[in-house]
Amino acid sequence: MRRAIFGYFVTAIVFAIFSFVSTRASLLAEDVIPSNSSIQDAIDFSIDGELNRAKRKPAEQADDANLVRRLNLDLVGRVPAPIETTQYIETDDASKREKLIDQLMSSPEFVDYMADRFDVMLMTDTNASLRDYLKTAFQENRPWDQVFRDLLVPDQKDEKQKSAREFVRRRAKDPDKLTVDVSSLFFGINVSCAKCHDHPEVTDWSQDYFYGMKSFFNRTFESGEYIAEREYGLVKYTTTAGEERDAKLMFLTGKVLDEPEYKEPSNDEQKKLDEKFKKIAEKKEVPPTPKYSRRSRLIEIALQKDQNQFFARAIVNRLWYQFYGHGLVMPLDQMHSENPASHPELLDWLARDLVAHKYDLQRLVRGMVLSKTYSRSSRWDSDDRPSTSLFAIAIPRALTPLQYSRSLRLATTDPKSFEGIASSEELQKKIASSASSGNSKYFQQPTIDFQVAVQESLYFSNSDEVRSSYLNGGLFNRIKEMKDSKQIIETAIWSIFTRSPTEDEIDILTKYLVAREDRHEEACQQLIWALLTSTEFRFNY
Amino acid sequence: MSTKRSMKYCGSAEHTTLSRRSFLGTTAALAGGMSGIAGLSNPAIADTIRKNDKRVIMLWLAGGASQLETFDPKPGRPTGGPYMPIPTSVPGVHISELMPKMAERLHKYTAVVRSLNTKDGGHGGGADLMMHGRKNEPNLKYPDIGAMLAHELGQADSEVPDYVAIYSQTEGRSNGGLGPGFLGARYAPIILNEKMELPFVKRLESITELDHRERADLQKLMSQRFLKGRESNSVASHGTAYDRVSGLMASDKLFDISQEPQKVRDRYGPSMFAQQALIARRLVEAGVPFVRVARAWWDSHGQNFETHSELVPELDHVMSTLLDDLEERGLLENTLVITTAEFGRTPKINASLGRDHFASAWSSTLSGCGVVPGAVYGETDEDGNTVKDGEVGAGEFFATVFEALGIKHDHELYVGARPIPLVNPGIKPIKEILA
Repeated sequence: MRRAIFGYFVTAIVFAIFSFVSTRASLLAEDVIPSNSSIQDAIDFSIDGELNRAKRKPAEQADDANLVRRLNLDLVGRVPAPIETTQYIETDDASKREKLIDQLMSSPEFVDYMADRFDVMLMTDTNASLRDYLKTAFQENRPWDQVFRDLLVPDQKDEKQKSAREFVRRRAKDPDKLTVDVSSLFFGINVSCAKCHDHPEVTDWSQDYFYGMKSFFNRTFESGEYIAEREYGLVKYTTTAGEERDAKLMFLTGKVLDEPEYKEPSNDEQKKLDEKFKKIAEKKEVPPTPKYSRRSRLIEIALQKDQNQFFARAIVNRLWYQFYGHGLVMPLDQMHSENPASHPELLDWLARDLVAHKYDLQRLVRGMVLSKTYSRSSRWDSDDRPSTSLFAIAIPRALTPLQYSRSLRLATTDPKSFEGIASSEELQKKIASSASSGNSKYFQQPTIDFQVAVQESLYFSNSDEVRSSYLNGGLFNRIKEMKDSKQIIETAIWSIFTRSPTEDEIDILTKYLVAREDRHEEACQQLIWALLTSTEFRFNY
Repeated sequence: MSTKRSMKYCGSAEHTTLSRRSFLGTTAALAGGMSGIAGLSNPAIADTIRKNDKRVIMLWLAGGASQLETFDPKPGRPTGGPYMPIPTSVPGVHISELMPKMAERLHKYTAVVRSLNTKDGGHGGGADLMMHGRKNEPNLKYPDIGAMLAHELGQADSEVPDYVAIYSQTEGRSNGGLGPGFLGARYAPIILNEKMELPFVKRLESITELDHRERADLQKLMSQRFLKGRESNSVASHGTAYDRVSGLMASDKLFDISQEPQKVRDRYGPSMFAQQALIARRLVEAGVPFVRVARAWWDSHGQNFETHSELVPELDHVMSTLLDDLEERGLLENTLVITTAEFGRTPKINASLGRDHFASAWSSTLSGCGVVPGAVYGETDEDGNTVKDGEVGAGEFFATVFEALGIKHDHELYVGARPIPLVNPGIKPIKEILA
């Protein structure tokens, strides 16, 4: 803490001395992130530097209980069990945060949770799932460029990677969607505006870009359970000026790819080729890999050393959004020159670092959650709230359906059931199994500017399922036997909020219980309900 | 809700006006944890942003009703079919003899559009188009009309639902592409298929009314403590969703037509469509901005005339009764009744005496709020095969709906910071039928 303050102090002085010459456009040597920094130091260096330039102070660091809750939700997709929080608080070890992060990230729950997040990111609105594939990928910490390759040009003979096909296959009927989704998800650029006209203001985006990107996919089609690709076919389009054009095979950087010479087959030849593909589909065989595949060329060019900035920046920004609640570039699919990042040097640094470390996502995630920027409090009590993109305050994020349903289960489990388990592995297993997902169909996937739906509040208020699943479980059975209100309240708050109750909370809740001495069990259930459905429990704050 | 946005997106000339939504976003943020509008103390601001009290009932003729047996008859032509046209209360305008009640009332309530060419003749695609006014972009899902109007006309903390969709005739038909798209779950329809009651609005017997209320108060108290210093629209929306619970529970009665005097119920009659129209009237009366009542199944590929001899008189009765009722209650001035479907039916009569899907020249109507009663817009050729005059698509029809409700058709919604107009840029409303 003292060091942090001292750090601010020094940077503030440096800032004071140089601010009269310093502008965003011309960075001073002192502002350049040292290339040998750890990820967390690079993040804090850049974020704190920007705060200093804006003459703003960040929020305090979150307390231990808050941090453990945040880390658990972010890394294993559920709140902690109360015992996890108390153990952390009681541990006197300077590296306890690092140890907790490593423990969480090496658990099966991490794999499961990250697979869910990435599945939602990659497959929303496709009625298909990559979960099986993604679990394997996260299990092995497969590099992100490898995942990209697996999804775009899957090894279709490998039945173990069957679900990887679905990314392209579910979109193959609609090459425009495939084009737009690949560009948005992997490169952070939504090219759909450029479909109909050159963008009026963004010089990055002309129609050539949309049709250039589409050219990587126009030969791809669905063949039964597989995807196939022809060796011919051009994308034609009409410019807004009415001119007919053949699209070039062009990547988002503007790089046009040379292609081997070939002749478009005649109609008869095309028919024959189509027949061949039809037979393959009927026999349910894996279609042959084309000698020359445009889809493969996309991977080649997108990952090429001087072309990979889009690919690396896009995933950095998406993970940043996931862990910090607001992208370095917002919206996530508008990463073009007219919409710069809030911290351009940091984005570039993290992208370069990711490439230098072979697209190791876990390394990046670990750095992100180790930063002081990550562990700030989400509370800002004075009036003059710093803007979101300064990352001065942690941003509360609505729980995903998976996080919420698992947390509801775990929080209503008898807290005593986690006590007296000597082996930490056994304890983790016990906790993971208590956090099983329940019914989440009334919870929506949080999106940008997420608003809680009334369907959710009605469900919690009046469904019998909520009563039987959460209000009648282990926690209820435990507290209903207790005579002392304070003990009931402490147990319930620890189980659900995993923190100590405040004095006021004890007062408020005691009054509630005392007024219901004639119906003690109902009172206990109502207490659990009020905590469980509170805003605090609904958010990762 | 960012205000610097001009450089981020395409669309160009349409992005000029300060949208009320972004303004609302700002004020809601200022008002903090309180529900946005109610929390405003400055009456001038409150008045500027007060939502208008317009309402919509959509009668959705699922499967596609025939324009020739309703609003665009072609007597004496090979395509005309057996039913004769009758004169309406508007001189020179004829509609099918299957609609005598609407014929009497046309001048009082209804504007007819006879020149829709919506191009999509598939049930799924057509229904999507006529519920959204446009096709989705590859990775942008547009909200449907109910969600857009719930957003424009509803109150954030409303005690009634703001978008109800009723569709009982399942017959294996899904609800089509209803959904809030990029507006998010807050504007999702409450869909009623079997039971005419909202899900989870009945208190469980295991908790008393008092405890139900007080545990909600307790939750609110706990939440407010958490909200201190953590103000965001997203966080605040949680409390709003719970604040609406008691109102919605009380609104359960709106779905119960036994609350209506027998006289009123008799007037609507016993059919399910009629009873649901009555529920729709009760809902808009209580302030629900958008209700869709679907009547199925009009898809008469065979025996078109038998199907229509049953369904059109029912439509005639329900639509005219609903309009009379709204009028007598003084609600019609602020309520627009849309009668439409995914498409119309082919003028050509097929070998099974049916009519098939047809999206290139068909009719829909708008009645009540904001339209010129008795106006007829557009014309099809003598056999009804093509639009001869005044061709419009789904977009123009939607633009007209918005304008009739006093909402600018180029008013913008936001995806994050990206402005998206209610209808696609360049689309104009049908001025001729707007009052």
